[in-house]
Amino acid sequence: MKALISSLSENRLAQILLFSVYVLITSASLFLAEKSVVAFLLLLLSILILYFLNLKTVWKWIIGFVILGVLLPVSASQGPSYQSYMEVATLVGIYVAMALGLNIVVGLAGLLDLGFVAFFAVGAYTYGIFATPQAANFMPFGSYPLSGGSFWIFLLIGCFAAALFGILLGIPVLRVKGDYLAIVTLGFGEIIRIVFNNMDKPVNITNGSMGIASITPPSIFGIDLLYPNQFYYVVFGIVLFTIYVVRKLEYSKVGRAWKAVRENEIAAQAMGIPLVKTKLTAFAIGASFSGMMGVVFAAKQTFVDPTSFTLLESTTILVMVLLGGMGSVPGVILGAAVVTILNLQVLTELTNWMNQLSLSGVIAIPEALSPVKMQRFIFGALLIAFALYRSQGLLPAKNRKYNPEELKNKTEKSSILLLSKEKRQA
Amino acid sequence: MLTDVIQTLPQVIVDGLTLGAVYAVIAIGYTMVYGILELINFAHGEIFMTGAFIGTAILLTFSGIGWLSAMPAIIVLIIVLIATSILTGFLGMGIERVAYRPLRNAPKLITLITAIGISFLLQDIIRFIAEVKKGNYIITGPSLFTGKMKLEASSLWPQFHDASFKSTFLVVLITAIIMMLVLDLFVNHTKWGMAIRAVAQDRDTAALMTINVNKVISVTFFVGSALGGATGVLFAVQYGTIDPYIGFILGIKAFTAAVLGGIGNIRGAMVGGMVIGMLEMFAAANLSGLTGGVFGAEYKDVFAFIILIVVLIFKPEGLFGKAAVEKV
Amino acid sequence: MNVLEVTELSKSFGGLAANSNITMGIKKNSITAVIGPNGAGKTTFFNMITGVYKPTSGDIRLNGKTLVGLRPDAVAKQGIARTFQNIRLFKDIPVLENVMAGMHTHITSNWLGILLNLPKARHEEDEAKKEAYRLLEYVGLEHLLNEAAGSLSYGAQRRLEIARALATKPSVLLLDEPAAGMNPKETKELTDLVQTIRTQLNITIILIEHDMKLVMGISDYIFVLDHGEKIAEGKPHEIRNNPRVIEAYLGKGALSLA
Repeated sequence: MKALISSLSENRLAQILLFSVYVLITSASLFLAEKSVVAFLLLLLSILILYFLNLKTVWKWIIGFVILGVLLPVSASQGPSYQSYMEVATLVGIYVAMALGLNIVVGLAGLLDLGFVAFFAVGAYTYGIFATPQAANFMPFGSYPLSGGSFWIFLLIGCFAAALFGILLGIPVLRVKGDYLAIVTLGFGEIIRIVFNNMDKPVNITNGSMGIASITPPSIFGIDLLYPNQFYYVVFGIVLFTIYVVRKLEYSKVGRAWKAVRENEIAAQAMGIPLVKTKLTAFAIGASFSGMMGVVFAAKQTFVDPTSFTLLESTTILVMVLLGGMGSVPGVILGAAVVTILNLQVLTELTNWMNQLSLSGVIAIPEALSPVKMQRFIFGALLIAFALYRSQGLLPAKNRKYNPEELKNKTEKSSILLLSKEKRQA
Repeated sequence: MLTDVIQTLPQVIVDGLTLGAVYAVIAIGYTMVYGILELINFAHGEIFMTGAFIGTAILLTFSGIGWLSAMPAIIVLIIVLIATSILTGFLGMGIERVAYRPLRNAPKLITLITAIGISFLLQDIIRFIAEVKKGNYIITGPSLFTGKMKLEASSLWPQFHDASFKSTFLVVLITAIIMMLVLDLFVNHTKWGMAIRAVAQDRDTAALMTINVNKVISVTFFVGSALGGATGVLFAVQYGTIDPYIGFILGIKAFTAAVLGGIGNIRGAMVGGMVIGMLEMFAAANLSGLTGGVFGAEYKDVFAFIILIVVLIFKPEGLFGKAAVEKV
Repeated sequence: MNVLEVTELSKSFGGLAANSNITMGIKKNSITAVIGPNGAGKTTFFNMITGVYKPTSGDIRLNGKTLVGLRPDAVAKQGIARTFQNIRLFKDIPVLENVMAGMHTHITSNWLGILLNLPKARHEEDEAKKEAYRLLEYVGLEHLLNEAAGSLSYGAQRRLEIARALATKPSVLLLDEPAAGMNPKETKELTDLVQTIRTQLNITIILIEHDMKLVMGISDYIFVLDHGEKIAEGKPHEIRNNPRVIEAYLGKGALSLA
């Protein structure tokens, strides 16, 4: 068995063959079966398998793109639960983007943000207010609701609004010791909810606890986006964009500054890295991902109210980051997928199953123990277990490997010497 | 408008004192743990909540077997307070042993995450137990002190309105003050108190002076959590109805009180708690009147939060704290 | 010509004087040592120069421009780099990226340029990598470029700190006990490295060190601190025979015994 695995890990052709067979079987069974959650989940799992294959990164991206962009929607489209699969996949995407945002703050910059959902709320309300007659209550000009075409602009506006809130909150807090940030953001998450809950007077801006209903759906080329399978592609696009942004920033001056501040604030400063500015950038960029997804969320649900933005939500996203691996992009994506599916599919299925057991009198399980109610317990336990025993997560962050051959300089003269020459002349 | 403020002032002071006393004692728990470990123990709010539930459970049991009417209320209260604080004290000690101690040399971030995990876990365990036992997680306990009292403030100054309060108010206030006095004596005048202060100042040197650092940290958690749990009992006695989520917002406010008083400073936490309690009650009573109805009493929680931010901007070391110098 | 001018610099922590009235002139291109017994206030002095502590009174001027009141990152930008007594590397990231982090202020592309993948941003990043590699070669750590900084040996970590500090292109380099914990061979290599840095890169070096053999062998000029005050200054041979210095190190009466 061991020999088989080791020979398999070397044989690229065999890997590709086995992987293709796996993808074909799972997508075929998803295509043929009426309702098969298992086939759906197994097809999603192929992305994780793909991650471990011995292939060039470019090829992994292309194959992953084909599986998620074409194979998954097409093979799911036949069954009656097409939309519910796409709904799950869309929500996974929304959480992946948010978790990637929180990963910048927690994983790369090492700042604990416990009110991350507040920025999600800012995004959601930004679109919700302007895509309903709600905005007419306080805006002196323009006619509301805005058309569905404005959704695309609002993706950016939501981004900026959330970033702005992040900066406004960050300026006072990031100047003082790091651990205060945790409790201030914790409070902020709660305060935003209270404020949105009460901003129906004196001017009705958020419609208070009633929430904002019938939000205009986005439209593109005259087509209204109404169904999860349409939103799936919107979210898919945004997730690709966020991965690009994180990847690009992570290995740049900006990302190095984040990591330096995380590892040692005093040394980072001594290297000329401004602390507050660096932390604010992380805070703002992380928040902006969340704000953008808030806009999508509002448009998809066509309804927002303050109950969607609780501490439980913030903690859920934190669980995703910690579970997957702080600072690790593939890890965080995995974490977000696992937790979302656990929340939406596994817990509900388990609850149904337990209810059936109770009804048929096999065993009596108290209603208080029903898994959907145990979220806090499960997430709390996950946080503790991972913090204590595997703080690097399921797929730990890996450092990029540099090839010394590419860095060796054969022709140019060392700039250290150039530097000294300049100085000598000066 | 101003007359409204003045008229309600006696009532605001009475309510603010009670709430402030609750905040003050919880703030002590935050400040002690922070002083010794530099850790914001998020679970402290939940220990308070657990205390409220344990206390209520004992009271309900007592009333079930008829002891409640057989004994004087004050004796019952003392029994409940002692039993609860011992239980929550051990709970706090256990949490430190299991969840914080293994991480003492890990990055702060990880420990904070564990703390939030513990906090969630406790909330759900209590919810679960309450729901299994009572069918609902919102619990109302039996009332211990039913008398009503009146503070005739109008005789003091005719502008004042009279303030009315339940007799529990006095009980809560006095008990809280006694707890604070005892703690102050404990920290400043006993061997263990001195050890706690020594470890808070410099853990390594304290260890060299043959102080058992782990034991001292355990004692700190025990004392802080016992106080927190006992305050939970007082809260339940005063306000009657409790649920598993009361610890969260209350914890943030108590932490604000600790920061206001200068984190790590026990007497500062007491003053901070009183100030926050008063300000909050003042805001609840007058915010709507003062802002012409723009901001209602619902914003009182926002108010405490704004205080936290303002303190952090202008005086991060708090009212009585010393500005910390980081060693490089 | 003095590159760094310190005048009547004082620092007290809550009434306790850590440094009082220190005046020093540091010559350009020199290797200057600051020595003194433990607790003499040497590191406090470094921390004031680098902006970590704000002086209670006095002035620090780099090429005539005052550094007092600047944040540490602004001081670094002015051209002062340092290493730390208790090594402060970015432990979890690779050696090469540690050095690249030191180039922060010299990479001018902002986040937008990076995201748009502009040619300038790419070029700067490539150059930074190569430059960082050269600096690693300079301190002899190029073979460890992909290791996590925290996994390096003690001596290698100290040299990496120097490489990282050089990456900021300083005009003055402060070394806080660079040879602490090194064996004689490593100390010798370090001495050579410090001298090469001075001669090849024209960087002024100020170092705090307890290894007197190293100090006497390498320094052009020495300042001696005791109880927060400057008690002596001069060339190595002058310091060696200064009675006040001997007294500070060995206690009163040491002279009569000698």
